[in-house]
Amino acid sequence: MSEVIVITSGKGGVGKTTSTANIGAGLARLNKKVVLVDTDIGLRNLDVVMGLENRIIYNLVDVIEGNCRIRQALIRDRHYSNLYLLPSAQTRDKSAVSPEQMIKLADTLKQTFDYIIMDCPAGIEQGFRNAIAAADRAIVVTTPEVSAIRDADRIIGLLESSGIRKIDLIINRIRMDMVRRGEMMSVEDVLDILSVNLIGAVPDEESVVIAANHGDPVLGSDTVSGRAYLNISRRILGEAVPLEHLEEHTSLFHRIAGMLGVK
Amino acid sequence: MKKIAKSIFHTSGEIAKTRTELTVSADRLDSSPDRMDELRREMTGVLAKYINIENDSIRICITFARDSIPESGAVRKRGISDVKTIQIK
Repeated sequence: MSEVIVITSGKGGVGKTTSTANIGAGLARLNKKVVLVDTDIGLRNLDVVMGLENRIIYNLVDVIEGNCRIRQALIRDRHYSNLYLLPSAQTRDKSAVSPEQMIKLADTLKQTFDYIIMDCPAGIEQGFRNAIAAADRAIVVTTPEVSAIRDADRIIGLLESSGIRKIDLIINRIRMDMVRRGEMMSVEDVLDILSVNLIGAVPDEESVVIAANHGDPVLGSDTVSGRAYLNISRRILGEAVPLEHLEEHTSLFHRIAGMLGVK
Repeated sequence: MKKIAKSIFHTSGEIAKTRTELTVSADRLDSSPDRMDELRREMTGVLAKYINIENDSIRICITFARDSIPESGAVRKRGISDVKTIQIK
């Protein structure tokens, strides 16, 4: 049974695309056949995050308009042979695709793939409606900020009223040093406000930026965020994985320095 | 509203949480954060008339009925009719 998952957030810049790329890599690593669909028509970037920007020949709109077969538009990932990308069109706009066409596309992809992951654009307009049209479940990405949580709450409401019953939350870019000092909302604070199931929390680490610079997933590296994304992928498959600690093991000196606010 | 938040709480994390709670519940009720703050203050005032409480120890929790989803799949804003419980801690 294949599943269509939409990764969405409302607010832009919270890490939807990075999360999509890493969850895709995680599910592929766990031996699932996965396709990532960039539904942000006009502003594509999943290709860049995955380091596949030079391999695009056909795109999502070409497939929908029948200019090519799906097989021709799919790009195989550089790291995982069972992970594919269906890139978005850069020179078109959101109105080039309708929710009905997305449902049809997802039905075709279901014949080949275990997981179809839709990377949703920011906002709640046509692009959002296209991305959620075929979704069986949703993963909402937020950061511990007032604006992002507010938008996430709105998105959760919209997903519910669109009939998507299974909604999980990723809290991204947590800085434990700031949480300890009381200068950032904690995972618990966010969950108090958004009454939705937490599927994982990812720390704000340099490694995520460095991996994206190279067009590589952070997953698979020996970092807290890499492990966090792999655990999120396991939880998507239904495994009960306890929530990991969001801090690297540091020496007593570093911990004391952290407490004193010295870096 | 910000001033009140600052006088009651100390860390920016706590201020952020209060502001998020107010905006989110205002959005859910189709109201404004200021009106939510007003609601909180008035309810606290009423409680203070009858019981001995400290103003800053009050937290109001509004629970929404999650299953009030229309069958048609139409997008609908949640409002006061979806409120299940109002809990005061």
